[in-house]
Amino acid sequence: MNKIAKLFVTFISAITLALVSFTSSFAKVEGEYIVLGSAISLTGKYSSNGVHTQNGYNMAVDRINKMGGVEVQGKKYKFEIIYYDDESNPKRAAQLAERLIKQDGVHYMLGPYSSGLTKAIAPVTEKYKIPMVEANGASRSLFTKGYKYLFAVLSPANQYLEVAIDLAVEKNGGKGVKIAQAFEQDAFSQDVRLGILDAAKRTGSEIIIDDKLPKELNDMAATLAKVKAVKPDVLVVSGHTKGALTAIRQISEMKVDVPMLAMTHCDAAKLSKQHGKKSEFALCASQWHKNLSYKDKFFGSGKKYAKDFQKEFGYDPPYQSAESSAALLVFKDAFERANSFDRDAVRDALVDTEMQTFYGNIKFGPGGQNVAKPMILFQVRCKGDDCENRVVAPTKWASDKFYHPIPKWSERS
Amino acid sequence: MDKVKQKDLILYSGLIILGLAAPYLFSAFKVQLTYLCVLIVLAMTWNLQGGEMGYNTFGNILFYGLGMYLTASVQVGMFFPLAEWTESGGEKTFVHTTAQYFQGIGVGLLVSAIVPAVIAGAIGYAILGLRGHYFAICTLGLGIAAGEIAGGIEIIGAGQGFTTPPFPAEIVDTEARGKFFYFLSFALLVGTFIFVKYIYGSRFRLILNAIRDNEDKAEAMGIQTMKYKIVGWMCSAFFCGLAGGIMGGLIGYIDSTDVAFDGREMGVFMVLMAILGGKGTLWGPVIGATLFHFFKEGLWTLILGWQYVALGVLIVVIVVYFPEGLMGWLREKYPERFGEVIDEKDRKAQVELK
Repeated sequence: MNKIAKLFVTFISAITLALVSFTSSFAKVEGEYIVLGSAISLTGKYSSNGVHTQNGYNMAVDRINKMGGVEVQGKKYKFEIIYYDDESNPKRAAQLAERLIKQDGVHYMLGPYSSGLTKAIAPVTEKYKIPMVEANGASRSLFTKGYKYLFAVLSPANQYLEVAIDLAVEKNGGKGVKIAQAFEQDAFSQDVRLGILDAAKRTGSEIIIDDKLPKELNDMAATLAKVKAVKPDVLVVSGHTKGALTAIRQISEMKVDVPMLAMTHCDAAKLSKQHGKKSEFALCASQWHKNLSYKDKFFGSGKKYAKDFQKEFGYDPPYQSAESSAALLVFKDAFERANSFDRDAVRDALVDTEMQTFYGNIKFGPGGQNVAKPMILFQVRCKGDDCENRVVAPTKWASDKFYHPIPKWSERS
Repeated sequence: MDKVKQKDLILYSGLIILGLAAPYLFSAFKVQLTYLCVLIVLAMTWNLQGGEMGYNTFGNILFYGLGMYLTASVQVGMFFPLAEWTESGGEKTFVHTTAQYFQGIGVGLLVSAIVPAVIAGAIGYAILGLRGHYFAICTLGLGIAAGEIAGGIEIIGAGQGFTTPPFPAEIVDTEARGKFFYFLSFALLVGTFIFVKYIYGSRFRLILNAIRDNEDKAEAMGIQTMKYKIVGWMCSAFFCGLAGGIMGGLIGYIDSTDVAFDGREMGVFMVLMAILGGKGTLWGPVIGATLFHFFKEGLWTLILGWQYVALGVLIVVIVVYFPEGLMGWLREKYPERFGEVIDEKDRKAQVELK
């Protein structure tokens, strides 16, 4: 046993030495760089949206650095981001946030992808008083916890599809409609569900199917079979990218006829490209669309952003990328107005944010959510085999009229 | 004999001093060290079933998750209406005072130790009659089912997840929370180790081994195997529940399938760590968990996106080259250091024969 003990002691001391020598912490601002930290889902169930988020961040970092960077007290600084992969797992995300702050010495955080992960990271950033600008955590429960260092550039999740219910009621001559809904069991989708419940109550609509879908969503045939049987006026589905893809795949396979189909994450799932005509007439909630008329000096307009993004990454930017880019514009603006690297000064500057970006107007409410920007709805429309997302609501930006009801599968070519 | 004991004493006191000093020496790594303590506890308790008893359970994650939800629920429920706390989009904010927080977590941990143990007894009674891979598959199902069920119970947050009470704001020191959870998990680790070491010196372990080596013979010898299997599982559940309770408080957010009943990660890790170190040994799971944690923390960020591939390679390497784990490998190489008497002549004769 004694040799083993010795071996063990040697091993422990080696580790001790390694750790002690490693504890040199970085500075929040290194030379000419402002270091931001972010845990992003590069693997796991949110990996595709995680990459959209990371691309959005990187795009904005490059652009801001190229255009002169951030000016604080007369000196120009550049942004730099330290990324870790949170594996789409809240436990890992919380641990990595701790690591970014304690070991890497990061003083300013960018959000992860998804509400669940943001919920896991927010208590950590709050504990260390680290300002976090997040672009992908929309769950309403994030904004009712009294967090002081959390700022979200996006509208809360319950607003995603409320408008869709209003539209359906309007088309029904102001009378309540029959709603069938299926939501993934995660923080974001469940919040979208609450929004629908509110809207149903408000409009006197009736919810006739209320299903929960598992995470790692690959099959919702059971729900669709029920939909076929009871014929609701509206079918609402939310389950991130996989939810959108699964819904369209199975609705077309099972030839489910429903007058209106409302979803989330259609653009992140690239529905119009992946499923083409099968996805036509799907109504989607979105935080942003390239046709909106907002402008800023870094990216110009939404259309210009989309073009540059396409050139850089080879695909049309989903709103997840756009809002992530906007998060950096918010940080830059806050640093310059604070004219300091003091965390509380930056936090106070963030509170006073009031700006327009290509992505939309940004102004934070008392809970940290963006209150200056409405949600939009677009509908997938096709010309021949070429499908596109067209904005249909709100009317200010609508390029097309909302097509209702969806023709039956037997009538679709 | 006395000499060996003295050496042990030095080793243990050294480790305890290191453990107590660790959060001050490596202040920035407190959270990782807390994880390490919890991982070791999970590996050691898994080893009681998988290593000593020969029952490969994937169900211990059930007790870990239960402990997590129970601690948090008790901590909230003792002072506030639980349903309003977990209601998503709820407008009210409840804040624990310092005393409430610590009372809550204390009682919560007590509950999260006892209830999983009782449940382990009940489930064990039902399924410990299964053997081999039937038992393994059955327990695998337990963990998955628990995750799905928890994801549907509104009062504990369902799919929205459960935000555990934040550390009392009255304690200004930002390091206090890290230290509190570290020492809590370290105490759990020491407690688990003492308990497992006690088992290793007892008849109970021999019975577990007998069950592993040949259950029918053990039964024929008059051992009530069912009773011992159940008690063994209850012991594991007791410590897994505590580990879960501590982790829930540390992470601050409980998600049904990704944090609590996380069979895909924690559930697999605990098996992997025990096998890496060497199952059926006292130190094996400790060493395995430590190595694994360092591998994970050190390398995973360097190979972003490929870490699961690396993990897969690691599993293959362990299974192919160290099927008995590191301890087993060492034992084969240096048997005399494990107190095994070797006949030198006999060994040489064997070598020559080859």
